[in-house]
Amino acid sequence: MIIGRLYIDQKSVVPKVVIGVVIALLAIVPLFTTSMVTLSTLISSGIWAVAVMGFILILRTGQFSMGQAAFMAIGGYVSAILTLNLGLSYYWLSFLASGVISGLIAFAIGLIVLRAGGTSFSIITIAFGEIVRIVALNWEDLTHGAAGILVKPPPPINIGNFEINFSLSLVPFYYFMILLVVASALFYWQIDRIRIGGTFRSVAANPVLAEHLGVHLMKYRVIAFTIAGVFTGFAGAYYVTFISVINPLIFDLWKSIQIMMMAIVGGPSLIVGGAIIGSTVLYSLGNYLSQLPVPNVQYVVFGAVVVLVLLFLPKGTGLVDLWGKFWRKVFREPEEYEIPGEFADDEEE
Amino acid sequence: MALLELNDITKFFGKLAAVEDIDLKVEKGEVLGIVGPNGSGKTTLINLISGYYKPTRGDIYFNGQKISGLRPDQIARLGIVRTFQSNVLFEGASVIESMMISSRLQYKTAEWQAFFNTRTYKDEQEKVVGNLLETLQLLDIFNETFRPAAALSHGYQRMLGIAAALAANPSVLMLDEPTTGMNHEEAMFVVENIKKINQRGITVLLIEHNMKVLLGVATRVVVLSFGNKIADGDPYEMMSKPEVIEAYLGTETV
Repeated sequence: MIIGRLYIDQKSVVPKVVIGVVIALLAIVPLFTTSMVTLSTLISSGIWAVAVMGFILILRTGQFSMGQAAFMAIGGYVSAILTLNLGLSYYWLSFLASGVISGLIAFAIGLIVLRAGGTSFSIITIAFGEIVRIVALNWEDLTHGAAGILVKPPPPINIGNFEINFSLSLVPFYYFMILLVVASALFYWQIDRIRIGGTFRSVAANPVLAEHLGVHLMKYRVIAFTIAGVFTGFAGAYYVTFISVINPLIFDLWKSIQIMMMAIVGGPSLIVGGAIIGSTVLYSLGNYLSQLPVPNVQYVVFGAVVVLVLLFLPKGTGLVDLWGKFWRKVFREPEEYEIPGEFADDEEE
Repeated sequence: MALLELNDITKFFGKLAAVEDIDLKVEKGEVLGIVGPNGSGKTTLINLISGYYKPTRGDIYFNGQKISGLRPDQIARLGIVRTFQSNVLFEGASVIESMMISSRLQYKTAEWQAFFNTRTYKDEQEKVVGNLLETLQLLDIFNETFRPAAALSHGYQRMLGIAAALAANPSVLMLDEPTTGMNHEEAMFVVENIKKINQRGITVLLIEHNMKVLLGVATRVVVLSFGNKIADGDPYEMMSKPEVIEAYLGTETV
């Protein structure tokens, strides 16, 4: 099971300065380029990163979910169907509903399937993804079947004289993507470093010992699965708005596998950093490769990349660990005697 | 009323009775040694109390409340915590991280308070971390606080297992052969620590092979043989009983 180095002090590896610089650089990208390709690659990478964070959170509890794209599909369908039936002015309400409903479904499914942990869980989540796809294909009254639903962009937002219009350019989509990623990242980052994050890790690292120290294994597995469901639902809703269509083929098994690959390549040891690096690298690569005249070459290359990462970074630490190594080398931060996570705050005070 | 009460506890694996009709009362504040040859059902008994196994027959009461049938985490929450013989580490964690993971039950603040890092939570966390460091000091492994748990020596790892169990705030601590694989000096280190733990008012159930450890710390001893309780009483008296010697060494032939 690839969990990565379990206990990494995120602060020592990715200091606030670096995070600030990265966000600032990303924020000024539209000033320099409004090229469709660049912006849409970044937008998609960001959205997938949110889904990958959910996958890594579930992985924290030792479970390997192979149906995360199904929750994107649920989020996408909920927002598409609600805006279709209620009208476009309810877009943001539908967006909220997508996360809530996706979370509720994750909770209900989690209660059933997390009883079977490990490999059985992975296989059941594949089945769940297929069920969602087949339901979407056949419940034509609701989902319009194979034809899918066209999703309109969100209505313009007026702040004083300034109008944010989503249908004119990709820039508003871009900034809202940053908002979505930063919000999810903050949530996941905080969850990961406070005591419940430690509990999640303990469930994966030694379930029997954790249970005898008072951890209700099932409860924490379901909590992680549900949190991931909520944010993955948001990601799905925003993704279908961005590509302006949803049909049963968009979130298939391949997309779930892609989320998994992104997590492995980026590195699950850092929940936010790993997700963002993994999704950006793989998505950009895939985007570039799909423009080549060789059909489907991106699948071959993805496989090769995953194999290479596992070969050269076999502990499941992914590309993000290369960054960590670089950072520690440059600034000579001690690796071993670092006080972990939240405890470090208390030491400074 | 006894603190912990086992009534006619029986556990079958298939047709084999690992423990059979065991009655046991554990009084508050004692150090109860459980001895017996290999396969006599000592660990099974602890597994039954901690909820890892469900008894085939019989009930277990703790403070008058029936606990047989509860999950291990529920039983730990009530205050019965155990250690394992070999399964002691959270892979990849340092000593203090293992302790912080194990200290869940000391917290009363809700998860959302931790999420927003409220004043109440910070205060409580400060207190809990203080307790943890104090526990490490008590068990004399404070110098290892920031080392990876996997890098500790065998003796220190076992001690960390006990420290982690103490972090879960037990009123009854069950130790499963804490001195296996230790030399005399290390074993005496464990004895001292068990005494210190007991002095804090924690009742200790101690499975042990090493007679020196038992005689050094146990206030009462229960002898098991083939899943049955064959003796119960003062440690020194027990060790001279013919049936106990027989169970351990076989029949006297001289």
